[in-house]
Amino acid sequence: MIELRGITKIYNKGKFNEVVAVQDISMKIEDGSIVVLTGPSGCGKTTLLSIIGLILTPTSGEIFYDGESVLGYSDYWKTSFRRENFGFVFQHINLLPQYTALENVLLPLYAKDSDPADFMERAVELLSKLGVMERANHLVEQLSGGEQQRVAFVRALIKDPQYLFADEPTVFVDEDTSRIIYRLLQDLRDKGKTIIVSTHDPELIKIADQIHRMDRGRLLQKK
Amino acid sequence: MRSAVIIVTFLIATTMVSAVLFTKEGLEREAEISVKTAPDLTVQYLKAGRVELIPLEYAKTIAGVEGVKAVIPRIWGYAGISTYTFTVIGLDTSSIQYTSFGSIESGRFLTPDDAGKGNIVIGKLIAGLLNVKVGDDIILLSESVEANKFHVVGLFSDASSIYTADMIVMSIQDARQFFRMPDGYVTDFAVYVEDYEQPANVAAKMSFLPNARILDQDLLLRGYKAAYGARGGIFVTLWTILLVGAALVAFSQAVVVGHESKFEVGLLKTFGFTTLDIIEVRLVESLVLGFFATSLGMILGYVYAAYFNAPGLVDILLGWAFLPREFRLPVFISWTSVFSIYAVTVIPLIITTVVPAWLNAITDPELAMRRAAA
Repeated sequence: MIELRGITKIYNKGKFNEVVAVQDISMKIEDGSIVVLTGPSGCGKTTLLSIIGLILTPTSGEIFYDGESVLGYSDYWKTSFRRENFGFVFQHINLLPQYTALENVLLPLYAKDSDPADFMERAVELLSKLGVMERANHLVEQLSGGEQQRVAFVRALIKDPQYLFADEPTVFVDEDTSRIIYRLLQDLRDKGKTIIVSTHDPELIKIADQIHRMDRGRLLQKK
Repeated sequence: MRSAVIIVTFLIATTMVSAVLFTKEGLEREAEISVKTAPDLTVQYLKAGRVELIPLEYAKTIAGVEGVKAVIPRIWGYAGISTYTFTVIGLDTSSIQYTSFGSIESGRFLTPDDAGKGNIVIGKLIAGLLNVKVGDDIILLSESVEANKFHVVGLFSDASSIYTADMIVMSIQDARQFFRMPDGYVTDFAVYVEDYEQPANVAAKMSFLPNARILDQDLLLRGYKAAYGARGGIFVTLWTILLVGAALVAFSQAVVVGHESKFEVGLLKTFGFTTLDIIEVRLVESLVLGFFATSLGMILGYVYAAYFNAPGLVDILLGWAFLPREFRLPVFISWTSVFSIYAVTVIPLIITTVVPAWLNAITDPELAMRRAAA
């Protein structure tokens, strides 16, 4: 379980351009659930997602993973924790254009303690499941937006992470791909994985177990 | 793209520097070999501070200096054939046992019997240019435009090629006639010292002789090297090109800190790459690129100098020697020069890699989340 207590993030604190991105947010996220963060653009969804994903340090507050407070740990520890437990899908997809789809999928494995060869079978399985296996050896620019996002999901899932963070994963993709993504997220939840998504997509909101609405950095309500 | 810029920059700079460095080493090595064949001391005659012909009787004065084994008169100068200029040296063949010009490839060296007979030994460059071999005759034009026929009895080998390549050795009698040199005078004296004596000591004793200018082998070698040093401008220019190349590399590495690259690093960090992982990746990438480009540049530099005779460089490097273009550059590769080239290319590359890589690696991974805003 993930627990957030009083999370606040202020950019440029004390300067003329100070921005309070996230303010005093507390929540609990159960394992094996789909949690949606929703709200208007600029409300702090991506900031909160980044904080929960330990890639952004809040100005104040605490985060607990399975009861363990993690914000006080070193960057190295957080990096290792991310590597072992997290998968990320980005709004802008963020595949590296100089590599093929398969190379992008295997990219996270080049961090320590992994041999990409050991994950080839899983890569093929996931690429096939998401219908992009035949595009595996194509460069990113040769893929459609929907195909790129599916490859990005395979990249996020290649190490079978316990937590998946997805920032607006359906905003730039077609309906077919969106449906594939909904199904994939539900499958992952059924396997006990925790998925935290920021989205405006009503269909994606429909399959969520928890919905957190945000506005101007604050949590408005929880369903 | 970044890799291509680094490779091309390094290739150009390393090729040029390698060509000059390998050739410079080859020339210096040739000079050292040549100087070893030179007499222990050479004595010239000064009058009003200028070198003039030296009276033959001066040999007795020199021979009187303690430690002198032999004093051999020489007459030398330059002769033209077609558009080429060659060095002509006339030796006292009665003292030929003291002289050394390196090995003979075909035919023989001069003997006392060759005095005044028009027999010559020539360098391989001349043989190649004039297409002559041992047994053939050649015509040399004197300053007064008179034709003089000579008979080739020997051909110098490739060893010490820069020294003997353009050389024509004949008896002193033939040289005197060819140069229309007045009786009783020679160009200089080749002096050989006793085995138990150091040439420098004998030279010191000779320095008190009136009108004498003493040249020892060290001075000759310094003269040769100074001649190459005079061409050092081009060398410095090329070295500067290399440094500019290194600076370009530094620039291209610094560009890595730019927007796209920062995003890339942010992305890797979200995947769990540590700062050290990212520095390591950049370092390995730069090392591979640097070694590849530098090694290829050295190979190209060698080929450019050794096989294509360094077009554009050969005139500058050899101009002092009056050697024609047909002369093959002596190219020599030493571990020192190879190490130096790697040092001035790869080490700056490593330095210019580590700092930008570190700057990149401390990029906040959140950048990947906010690509559009970054």
